[in-house]
Amino acid sequence: AFTRVTADDYREAFGLFDRVGDNKVAYNQIADIMRALGQNPTNKEVAKILGNPTPEDMANKRVEFEAFLPMLQFIVNSPNKGTYDDYVEGLRVFDKEGNGTVMGAELRIVLSTLGEKMTEAEIDALMQGQEDENGCVNYEAFVKHIMSV
Amino acid sequence: MYCPTVVKLYIFWCLQQEECSRPQEEEDIMDIPLDDPEANKAAAKIQAGFRGHMTRKKMKPEDKAEGEEVSRHYG
Repeated sequence: AFTRVTADDYREAFGLFDRVGDNKVAYNQIADIMRALGQNPTNKEVAKILGNPTPEDMANKRVEFEAFLPMLQFIVNSPNKGTYDDYVEGLRVFDKEGNGTVMGAELRIVLSTLGEKMTEAEIDALMQGQEDENGCVNYEAFVKHIMSV
Repeated sequence: MYCPTVVKLYIFWCLQQEECSRPQEEEDIMDIPLDDPEANKAAAKIQAGFRGHMTRKKMKPEDKAEGEEVSRHYG
């Protein structure tokens, strides 16, 4: 349920993404609107909610706010959301020396080869300023930084 | 014998070269569980968190303080 944040706030954010002026947004914008509204859906979760659309559907099909709202609600209510501990423990796997750091280079490879692979551009943007002079990342600080926005 | 860090960096460099193929030994050295469903699930969760963060960071207005306020309001 929405408490402090009302459906009107969500509607306003939704409107920011409407580039066509038909009070709708494209399928391929749904994930980003959810992220803008504080959620962290996987691309797979969004695809499932949208009925596993084709690439053409993703680009061309549009959704109005009233149809978007239950999609968002589903993600908000998802029991499987990532927590600070999830992220830290996930990264700790690559902490070979057990000293609280992972090699930036190794993290980059993991992000580009496992799960929902990230592009080089995405990884560069993410890692900007996170590696120390030895190319290491303190992952607890990194996760705190990620969760602050 | 090269230290592990140098080996890893070499492999990372090698992976960046498009013409470089990846033999099984390199995958073992990197210890990256490419086929492990649990590892891929964990990675996808982390990547989802990263993508969420980056989208919200991009949406932040010029004024940092106001931006954090907006994110907290919607978060």
